[in-house]
Amino acid sequence: MMNLRVTTFLILILASGALRAEDEISFNRDIRPILSDKCFFCHGPDKEERKADLRLDLREGAVAARDETAAIIPGKPQESELVKRILSDDEFTVMPPEESGKHLTENEKQLLIQWIGEGAEYQDHWAYVTPIRPDVPTVPNDNWSLNSIDRFILAQIKEQKLTPSADADRITLLRRLYFDMIGLPPTPAEVDAFLADKSPKAYEKVVDRLLESPHFGERMAMYWLDLVRYADTVGYHGDQEHSATLYRDYVIKAFNDNKPFDQFTIEQLAGDLLPNATTEQKIASGYNRLLQTSHEGGVQQKEYLAKYASDRVRNFSEVWLAGTMGCSECHDHKYDPYTQEDFYSLQAIMADINDNDSFKGGNTLPTKREPEIEALSPIDRERLDAVEAELAELEQKLAANEGNAEVAAELKSEIAVLKSEQKEINNRVRRQMVTVSIEPRTIRLLPRGDWLDESGPVMEPSVPHFLPQVEKKGRVTRLDLAKWLVRDDHPQTARVFVNRLWYLFLGEGISRSLDDFGSQGAWPTHPELLDWLAVEFRESGWDIKQMVKLIVMSRTYRQTSVVVTPGLLKYDPENRLFARQNRFRLPAEMIRDNALSVSGLLVDEIGGKSARPYQPIGYYAHLNFPKRTYLSDKDENQYRRGVYVHWQRQFLHPMLRAFDAPTREECTARRPISNTPTAALTLLNDPSLIEAARVLAAHAMEEDVKNDRARIEWIWRRVLSRRPTEMESKVMADYRQNSKAAYAKDPAEAKKLQSVGRAETPEHLDPVELASWSAVCRAILNLNETITRN
Amino acid sequence: MHPFEEARQQLTRRTFLSQAGVGLGATAAATMLDESLWAGPDASALGGLPGLPHFAPKAKRVIFLCMAGGPSHLETFDFKPKLQEMDGQPMPESFTKGQPIAQLQGKELKCLGPQYPFRQHGDSGQLIADILPHTAEIADDIAIIRSMHTDQINHDPAHTVMNTGTSISGRPSMGAWVTYGLGVESRDLPGFVVLTSVGGRNPQPIASRQWGAGFLPSRFQGTEFYSKGDPVHYVRNPAGVSNEQQRKLVEAVAKLNDLRYQQVKNPEIESRIAQMELAFRMQQSIPELMDFSNEPQHVLESYGTEGSDGTFAANCLLARRLAERGTRFIHLYHRGWDHHGDLKRYMEICCGLCDGPAAALIRDLKERGMFDETLVIWGGEFGRTPMFQGKGKDPGRDHHIKGFSMWMAGGGIKGGTSHGNTDDLGYAAVENPVHIRDLHATMLHQLGIDHKRLSVKFQGLDARLTGVEEAHVVKDILA
Repeated sequence: MMNLRVTTFLILILASGALRAEDEISFNRDIRPILSDKCFFCHGPDKEERKADLRLDLREGAVAARDETAAIIPGKPQESELVKRILSDDEFTVMPPEESGKHLTENEKQLLIQWIGEGAEYQDHWAYVTPIRPDVPTVPNDNWSLNSIDRFILAQIKEQKLTPSADADRITLLRRLYFDMIGLPPTPAEVDAFLADKSPKAYEKVVDRLLESPHFGERMAMYWLDLVRYADTVGYHGDQEHSATLYRDYVIKAFNDNKPFDQFTIEQLAGDLLPNATTEQKIASGYNRLLQTSHEGGVQQKEYLAKYASDRVRNFSEVWLAGTMGCSECHDHKYDPYTQEDFYSLQAIMADINDNDSFKGGNTLPTKREPEIEALSPIDRERLDAVEAELAELEQKLAANEGNAEVAAELKSEIAVLKSEQKEINNRVRRQMVTVSIEPRTIRLLPRGDWLDESGPVMEPSVPHFLPQVEKKGRVTRLDLAKWLVRDDHPQTARVFVNRLWYLFLGEGISRSLDDFGSQGAWPTHPELLDWLAVEFRESGWDIKQMVKLIVMSRTYRQTSVVVTPGLLKYDPENRLFARQNRFRLPAEMIRDNALSVSGLLVDEIGGKSARPYQPIGYYAHLNFPKRTYLSDKDENQYRRGVYVHWQRQFLHPMLRAFDAPTREECTARRPISNTPTAALTLLNDPSLIEAARVLAAHAMEEDVKNDRARIEWIWRRVLSRRPTEMESKVMADYRQNSKAAYAKDPAEAKKLQSVGRAETPEHLDPVELASWSAVCRAILNLNETITRN
Repeated sequence: MHPFEEARQQLTRRTFLSQAGVGLGATAAATMLDESLWAGPDASALGGLPGLPHFAPKAKRVIFLCMAGGPSHLETFDFKPKLQEMDGQPMPESFTKGQPIAQLQGKELKCLGPQYPFRQHGDSGQLIADILPHTAEIADDIAIIRSMHTDQINHDPAHTVMNTGTSISGRPSMGAWVTYGLGVESRDLPGFVVLTSVGGRNPQPIASRQWGAGFLPSRFQGTEFYSKGDPVHYVRNPAGVSNEQQRKLVEAVAKLNDLRYQQVKNPEIESRIAQMELAFRMQQSIPELMDFSNEPQHVLESYGTEGSDGTFAANCLLARRLAERGTRFIHLYHRGWDHHGDLKRYMEICCGLCDGPAAALIRDLKERGMFDETLVIWGGEFGRTPMFQGKGKDPGRDHHIKGFSMWMAGGGIKGGTSHGNTDDLGYAAVENPVHIRDLHATMLHQLGIDHKRLSVKFQGLDARLTGVEEAHVVKDILA
């Protein structure tokens, strides 16, 4: 068994190597990854750790003369010290040294030798060079491509003498589109309408409709909130609630309104610094307050100010630069040019954020993390503005129609309705932590990151030294920093974002390392496409919906995820060519949303306070200051989407946790996708899912269909969009008969099942029938296909 | 043959016959390489990393008795007559200047002498305070480290250091590292279990981050067991669903998943079927685990428990039962050791709850021949100041990170030894200091793991439990 495993593994390794066997050497693609992983630790950017005063990350360092030789002598591999060292069999001179635990493979050695032989040309790291729009390739006789994306993708597929996969069948495609764009499944009626629409624009019409759906913002927010580590609690120690939900609603609305990404960026980092900042912009600046905080007894303010400052730089670099700047808190980055000075210079830019008042919170729920404001969510604000405009109009009309009793009465009743809505909205004022700028703190470089060490130099605010600089007299502010991110020549911002968009819709990034665009990150599989998309994004005016449309309209997106092309798997097991779609388990929130949606329980209001679904008792027993009892929502809030679930950092809802939702203590660009017994138990027994199953069963029983098989088909279509096969239908029918027989012997048990959850089912339904149909619905909700985006 | 067994064998056969040919989604392929799903659908229940252990292990598993809140070393294992002499006098500034400090910030610092007499115990003559009479009985079995030190002075970050080696969130905990490296031995119980006891005084909060998997695959995170409600989340069938009904459900789902597999060849489906079966087996095995009725009376009495009621005593016995069944890492938390005031009163409560059961656990492991293969570690996230703190009616002590005590036993540890020392006032570890990362290196060493070689690529770095600073195995306490 073992041998077979190893063999298979080797086949895969060789297969992925085969993709590039005939290519010319490219420094960025072939050489930098080797030097970075195997050499930079001691011969890289970190000046403290650098051995033998040799750095290989810069060409001038590598070729510099040293004692009549040089590490690299371009064109002369045999004479280069580097080559002698990597080929040495002497344990004292061989590189990398034994104790580093690093080894060069034969292939890597050959690549280095060949590269030096060809002149040892270096290239600037791809992610630090401003992207320029490359030409779109043309492939002869291309009758596959639908847009520019496809031409890039097809060109590379053709180079490998392969073909793209066929389009996915229409039902799978529609389902994919729904989950990807709004995070919810299509209804059977929507499936039927799509199947019936034979026009060439049928697909595009759906795309346009989904882009306008208010659920689009919820779906996009799910991901953005992972990046910015949005949560409803403070994270440290007592993990009390803090006030952040208006920020969450701001994000949802921003995506729904298609707020340009540059503006979105500026408002979050520096909304408070904008001239005449609106309430919405102040709410957006809550971004700076999302980090973990503490008021634990014995917190030393100075230590925590240092922690917070570092946390912010870490998150900033991960969200916008896909940079791993966290490393440079204690030392220069080992692999990338971020220095420790860069780290603390960024801290200095953010040193005006008022954190002093945040320590005053008590053990209340929520605790206070001043500065805070009281406001309506941007969603409520918009509705209120509309209501008030309408009211003003109606009141004018009323004044004009005083004489007409009939019209006046009608107007008055309309006004009364609106006034009651106005009042209701005004009652929804919530608190929100915001950013308030104060006299900036002095920021010193902290040697080894030690906040007690005051020997480091005072740092001036500036952006990382090797990137384009902010040209400005005077202090660089957060507003400057935000604007710098979205200037035309910024090498990272647009690339980082489009790469993550691509990942959301294709299941993988063009660079696989969504969170690391440094030299240890993955070289993009399609660098030209990535650049083309980045430039397109910027030049579109940072138009997110346009980019989403571009991606989902591509033929690339529409391919089947089932491997049908012979040989494809052998040559491209990891789908680096995107010659098929990827399939993956749905994110945690969507598993919940799907069950609520198909059962009809979902309350699909946009925005609002956080929701508390059923949760196992005692789960919060570890919490204290104060001790707390979790009270699940007893109203409609129980059935809200996953994006609104109360995000307790220390004890995230077990259902979300079981399906890999992050605690949001740090930035998460990619959630792991696990497959565990805990997840299986959750899917089997979580009351929210049981309740959804029994409510779905009640709906099914009220459908006017002729027999069991038809009822099974009704449920199946509702959950999976497609019809069951004959075999599937038979398995279900047998299961249903078996279940019915068992419950018929014990009707009391059948009734008990209906007690899970608070939703009521019609009393006239026979309990035994209902229990057995509930069992059928449970089975279908537990299928792998139900929780998979294909 | 049991239907699950049959289904699994079918799947396994198919997996191995056609692995190179079936549909590997890219996500699946990426995770496969990482998560060693190559071992087939049951990989998550067993197998560790290839090449591990690196050398012959002394210990197979770890039971970590975490005394959360930070027990005073000066009232337990670190006897300081000089501190006694200086009771009530100002703490010399030479000790405290420029040092981090928690609740005593800005307060006058004066010495507080040890509150209990110390005596020598066992053949080894280890010095242990009178407040720990039962631990005194196992003096010859434990190695006391009196020179521990750590980096973080507040509970939450200090626990994070103790568990992950750093105070930055998002790193794997030691239990996750160990199960990731070595796999688990039980087919139907989690490999990493967390038990938190009830009882005692106002408990420290503990974040689930402390048993998180960080950047390791999430199946390596610790599973919490509860004394109230379901012992494990969602382990009980819903109301109105019998075991038999649940089994039929799992079978139906497995059949349907298999039908789907035949159409789309998604390897995730096979794994899903296997995990669901494992989940079902857990539904049977966990109630059996939690049921102490087959334990002999003298064992129950020795621990001081009658059933799995969530006390530290019950959890110590549960830890042994888990150890017997192949769980790799068992982490017990007893909270309430944060004694800023009323130190004596609370020491009596905490020691009263924890001292006997910990000693009983050692004796029980010895009686069952499991002591040599089980590494037991006792200690808090930090220690307490030699300085007086005046919260509450009677004296207390503040958080302290420069010197504190822990003990280790079993699993190849030399019993009856003391290692390291703090200075005369019990302030700083001065002789053979042992950092948390040294403790980690030692623990991994006993499990047959070279801490430098258990690493995972994270943000470009070969991340390890012991981090980037040098860490050393504490050789002096090894048998």
